[in-house]
Amino acid sequence: MHTDRSAGPAIPCEDAADVTREDRLALFRLVLLHRLIEERVGLLYRQGRISGSVYTGRGQEAVGAAAGYALGPDDVCAPLNRELACHLARGVTTAEAFRNFLGKGDSPTQGRDGNMHFGAPEHGVFPLVSMLGDLCPVIVGAALAFKRRREPRVALTFWGDGAMSTGDVHEGLNLAAVLKVPAVFVLQSNGWAYSTPTTRQMMNTCMADRVEGGWGIPAARVDGSDAVATLVALRGAIERARSGEGPQAVEAVSLRLDGHAAHDDGSYMDQAQQSEYAEQRDPIERLAERLRLDGLTDSEVEALRAAAAGEVASGLEAAEASPAPDPATILDGVYATKLT
Amino acid sequence: MGAVAEVTYLEAIRSAMADAMRDDERVFLMGEDVGHFGGPFGVSKGLLEEFGGERVIDTPIAEEGFVGAAFGAAWMGERPIAELQFADFISCAFDSIVTVGAKTHWRSGIKLPVVIRSPFGGGVRGGPFHASCPEGFFIGTAGLKVVCPGSVEDAYGLLRSAIEDDDPVLYFEHKALYRRLRAEAPDSSLRTPLGRAHIARTGSDVTVVAYGAMVDIALRAAVELDGEASLEVLDLRTVWPLDEAAILESLARTSRVCVLQEASSSIGAAGAVLSLIAREGFELLDAPPVLVGAPISPVPFAPELEDAYIPSVERVVEELRRLGAY
Repeated sequence: MHTDRSAGPAIPCEDAADVTREDRLALFRLVLLHRLIEERVGLLYRQGRISGSVYTGRGQEAVGAAAGYALGPDDVCAPLNRELACHLARGVTTAEAFRNFLGKGDSPTQGRDGNMHFGAPEHGVFPLVSMLGDLCPVIVGAALAFKRRREPRVALTFWGDGAMSTGDVHEGLNLAAVLKVPAVFVLQSNGWAYSTPTTRQMMNTCMADRVEGGWGIPAARVDGSDAVATLVALRGAIERARSGEGPQAVEAVSLRLDGHAAHDDGSYMDQAQQSEYAEQRDPIERLAERLRLDGLTDSEVEALRAAAAGEVASGLEAAEASPAPDPATILDGVYATKLT
Repeated sequence: MGAVAEVTYLEAIRSAMADAMRDDERVFLMGEDVGHFGGPFGVSKGLLEEFGGERVIDTPIAEEGFVGAAFGAAWMGERPIAELQFADFISCAFDSIVTVGAKTHWRSGIKLPVVIRSPFGGGVRGGPFHASCPEGFFIGTAGLKVVCPGSVEDAYGLLRSAIEDDDPVLYFEHKALYRRLRAEAPDSSLRTPLGRAHIARTGSDVTVVAYGAMVDIALRAAVELDGEASLEVLDLRTVWPLDEAAILESLARTSRVCVLQEASSSIGAAGAVLSLIAREGFELLDAPPVLVGAPISPVPFAPELEDAYIPSVERVVEELRRLGAY
């Protein structure tokens, strides 16, 4: 991450009039927290202090941040594995996130699942399942409940170029369109499905085109490295869904800067393209440039970075003090109503 | 004295849905052709007219999609019933059931009160894709409850209990029983407790553990053997999780057991029941347990083949005589 105080080569985010200074600062905090948590998680993983594997959203932080931030307080969502910032936007704390990565007993999943594979029922966040695509129909069902009850609420989920090939996504999109429910789908176009490029996942690589033409769902396409532009697109989609116009989609185009997971160094990716994206379109630096153009001084921007780093450090400290899970609790909650 | 109102197994299922929908706004039905058509067997006939299109929802042909949507609606506090046209098609929804349905409460505390209704079993010449008994795919899966009513009363009572339960419940209704079984109309207050087996017939010589359409077969076998052996018929009703105590208590009375199921003998509930008996009931046994199930093949279509495939009264009687002679 850039830490120098001088203006970098990153292209500033667009200057949308209806994205306020408060919005921009909130987004900056979210993308920073996402990046910094995952950087720390990577270190902990390499130290052997996090088990299993870890997945990051480096290069895509703006998408989850903007989506989570754009939702209203009563809306619900299902973030997947490149959208830690969405959890944070909905109210999940850095400590809660670290507890889940560390498998702590008081983590959102009580150590039963790792990574960002957790829900936050109190914030309307459904837990990720690894069968990416499965949550598309689930979100459609949540939106159906809102429609049935005439509640002005929206349900939102994400998926990427990989899950776009699954049947669940097709069935969910079709159901959403036919039932005309207030659902919003955020399509993360990051160039890769694990190690397989998007060009080998689908012939028409414009997912917005496919969603609009194939399922009859209005779909916008936005630069997913630009947090401001992404927020504008998502707010539009969310409000159209809320006002009864049926499901909406936004394709956010970005680039995955890391491999699929910690074990994958991504060496198969086009390194020149990766470097160019990292230099010019890193979502954090693009937003930092925008804030500078908005009149923030270098030291003010630096103070925001330091505040986020402090939030991450204190979250980790709190999480590390948490107890390990108790094996005696494994059976708790298998059923909501246990049959004795 | 007025005649007692009788209903079929199918009508009991329909009344259970209608009564639940009258009692609770959160209950709604979704599936393929459940609306104006009333479902392939007519189970939901009349519901669209009474409850309207927002509570009786025709979906596209997308079992994984609408079962997943049922979980999403349940997350938001609804109590959906998802109908599959045939239980065989539960394979299409398998991922959502075992991935989302079964694991979500344990991972997050989010309750998913969904009932997935599906007609299972043979006897109507359905062939390999319309006559299966796929309940065994789910038996043993943590987080799921699986019920198979074998009587009119339980068709009603188990469905009401399933709808009121806070976990995902797979409700396998036997299509051959739809119009074969008739009984007094169940009272709307009837609830059959989940997780509880029922002694459909008391006896002292052999316990026949059965469920679904095999309960009727076992009861008929008991009549055939009248005077020769006293059969106790234990109707599991809930095939997962098993009512272990009821199985062992019956075995303690009879000391001989036959596990009877329509599913292939390699799947279904039999493995779980026999495992329990081997582990916990060994010293209660006077003879090795007998398993009567369908052959380990898909369900065949031609009448000659299907009749030979599904366990019959004659076959059960023969197996029970052999067990009695041990």
